[in-house]
Amino acid sequence: MTTARRPRLNAVRIGPPGGDPVVLVHGIATDNLTSYYFTVAPALAAAGHDVVMYDQRGHGRSERPTTGYRLEDFTGDLAALLDGMDTTGPVHLVGNSFGGTVAFDYALRHPDRVASLLAVESEPPTAAWAAKMSALLAGSARRLRDGRALPWIDRTYGRHAARLVRRARPLLQETTIAADVASSRIPAEHRWRELDLPVLAVYGSTSDLTAMAPRLESLLPDCRTHLVPDHGHSVLVGDPRTVGTLMLDWLRAGHRQRTKAVRV
Amino acid sequence: MTTTPTPDAVTPLQEADERVVLAELTEALHAVLPEIGLEGTPVTMDTRFVEDLDLESIDLVTLTGELGRRYGDRVDFPAFFASLELTEIIELSVGRMVHYIAGRLG
Repeated sequence: MTTARRPRLNAVRIGPPGGDPVVLVHGIATDNLTSYYFTVAPALAAAGHDVVMYDQRGHGRSERPTTGYRLEDFTGDLAALLDGMDTTGPVHLVGNSFGGTVAFDYALRHPDRVASLLAVESEPPTAAWAAKMSALLAGSARRLRDGRALPWIDRTYGRHAARLVRRARPLLQETTIAADVASSRIPAEHRWRELDLPVLAVYGSTSDLTAMAPRLESLLPDCRTHLVPDHGHSVLVGDPRTVGTLMLDWLRAGHRQRTKAVRV
Repeated sequence: MTTTPTPDAVTPLQEADERVVLAELTEALHAVLPEIGLEGTPVTMDTRFVEDLDLESIDLVTLTGELGRRYGDRVDFPAFFASLELTEIIELSVGRMVHYIAGRLG
């Protein structure tokens, strides 16, 4: 087996150098780092954090290889990005949707390198998640082959949504992403119970992922959950002020907890 | 200047500055986004980045990264974007960004 070259990733860093590092990981297909750059990232930087955002492979202005989209490929990109940073010590991870799954996967593999984890509208990497995500991606790619799909999205969800889907089409239709996600390497569930770091899982109250909240609380040793009222899966861009305030509060609290944990 | 400018007033001096910034912004657009084929498209103050130039929002980040290197600490693009709603970013015109930059440089 050959190891494929890592694709070139587009990254943006804002905030004071030497600040407490926070790495923001975006979602899949119709997403990129702007979901943070245009919402919560400026406030995190203004609060003194060293904020790093990047486009995951196949997204935004990062390279889009035709193959190599298993979860561990995305997690490996995050590891390489962190290796290349001039910071030492654990970082705070924030993930939105699929980005939270990547952040969870990274934390399960490298718990000593993570200070805290905040996941917005995310599922942990399980076999059920991989099967569902793969089917969603394959279904999207198939529906987009119908020429009526984009005009329908335009009429139903607006021109911006249609534009995002149009941009995601090459990733969905010209790469192996759906099949790759299905064959991802899934961490054993017992590792969840040993994940010794503070986790906050945020969901939109109308999202169909809210059932994850009690499950995570029972699985993880140190997990809190929070529901944002009147929002669904897109709560990050739908209510950036509320989510941004949660993040700022969390980064202060998460940092304290980690300091305490290290001292003990 | 002999008059007390109101916050929104555009003075002749500021207008000259904005023309310079518009030219610099247009140059930066060509430099960082050559693949979008802007050659035939005139860039004016009324041009909208997303609607008219078909830029992706991620291209705006790349553009302001380049402009940030040019103008340095005097211009704070994350703060500029933080002051806008997402819908305003999607509708953002060249003129609005030029106005912001010129205001910070002035």
